[in-house]
Amino acid sequence: MTGLRNTLMGFFMAALSVGEGMLPAYAAQDGEKITVSGEFIDTWCYFSGVMGSQDAVVGSAHHTCAMWCSAGGIPVGILTEDGTVYMVLKVGEDATSNGSDNLLSMASDTVTADGTFYARDGINYIVVSKIVQNDGITRLNHEDLGVVPDFAIQNPNK
Amino acid sequence: MIRTLVALALMSLPAAAQDFSANSEAKSWNLYAEQPARFEAKVIDTLCDLTGECAADCGGGAHQLGLLRKADGVLVLPLKNGQPVFSGAANDLQPFCGKEVEVDGLMLVDADVGLNHVYQLQKIRVVGDADWTKANQWTKDWAAKNPDAAGDGPWFRRDPRINAMIVEKGYLGLGLDVDAAFIKELFP
Repeated sequence: MTGLRNTLMGFFMAALSVGEGMLPAYAAQDGEKITVSGEFIDTWCYFSGVMGSQDAVVGSAHHTCAMWCSAGGIPVGILTEDGTVYMVLKVGEDATSNGSDNLLSMASDTVTADGTFYARDGINYIVVSKIVQNDGITRLNHEDLGVVPDFAIQNPNK
Repeated sequence: MIRTLVALALMSLPAAAQDFSANSEAKSWNLYAEQPARFEAKVIDTLCDLTGECAADCGGGAHQLGLLRKADGVLVLPLKNGQPVFSGAANDLQPFCGKEVEVDGLMLVDADVGLNHVYQLQKIRVVGDADWTKANQWTKDWAAKNPDAAGDGPWFRRDPRINAMIVEKGYLGLGLDVDAAFIKELFP
């Protein structure tokens, strides 16, 4: 019963802290050391569905668009095999996450990365300390899907 | 005691269930998970807020910026601005670093896949200001940074960094030979 009371008290205090005009005093978190393997993706196309299913907005089929979005300052994420997406805040000493040269150069690549993981309000974030391995583009889905969007490559015959 | 705490906890949760679509003038993008969302927030540097690694002026345009929502303290991450040209929202948020703002746009919400709190920013203003600023700054900033890339067509066809990568590894990123064979098949 004491545990339940404490839980409810904690819940009440947490709920109170988000009441209007009483923002919770979030402090920077310690984060959790983590190693992830996955593909650098453009998160807008992946989450919004603007170009179709999530299977269509990854890999070689979507590489040109992934470059456009990375260069355009859309947050880059690492998509792991289990479907988790980590929003990339920093890679090594490069803290540029808005149109970064470094991230652009790795668009659609599958990498293994060491870093620190943060979770906040249902979104995962990662500060990558090191790209341990870069396998390049491994998802060769252009063979089945063509390119997504279909105007990614202009017809050279026109 | 427990009943009292339960009642107090339930009474103090209105923000969690808030509907942020009230008074929104956001234009639909016909996205499957979009919900109009207009709310007040503080513009913050996500890297600083999460890790404590803070730079002056929210990173001066280099960082992704977030919206710390006033009503419930949730950190909303804008992925996109209002332009249909593969452009993010950080450039539109940068002038408002540290300010209390009101924003209007589309929240992407899909409980089935745990999608929440990512946002498409369409317009922004400082709280109390009458005038909105449309979230269409990105192409202006790009044009200013790339005066030699002026010409016809959208920015992403003319961007020097992207074009250099295509010249090196092709549109598929798999090398020029793979690209050439694929393009020949695609456009016989």
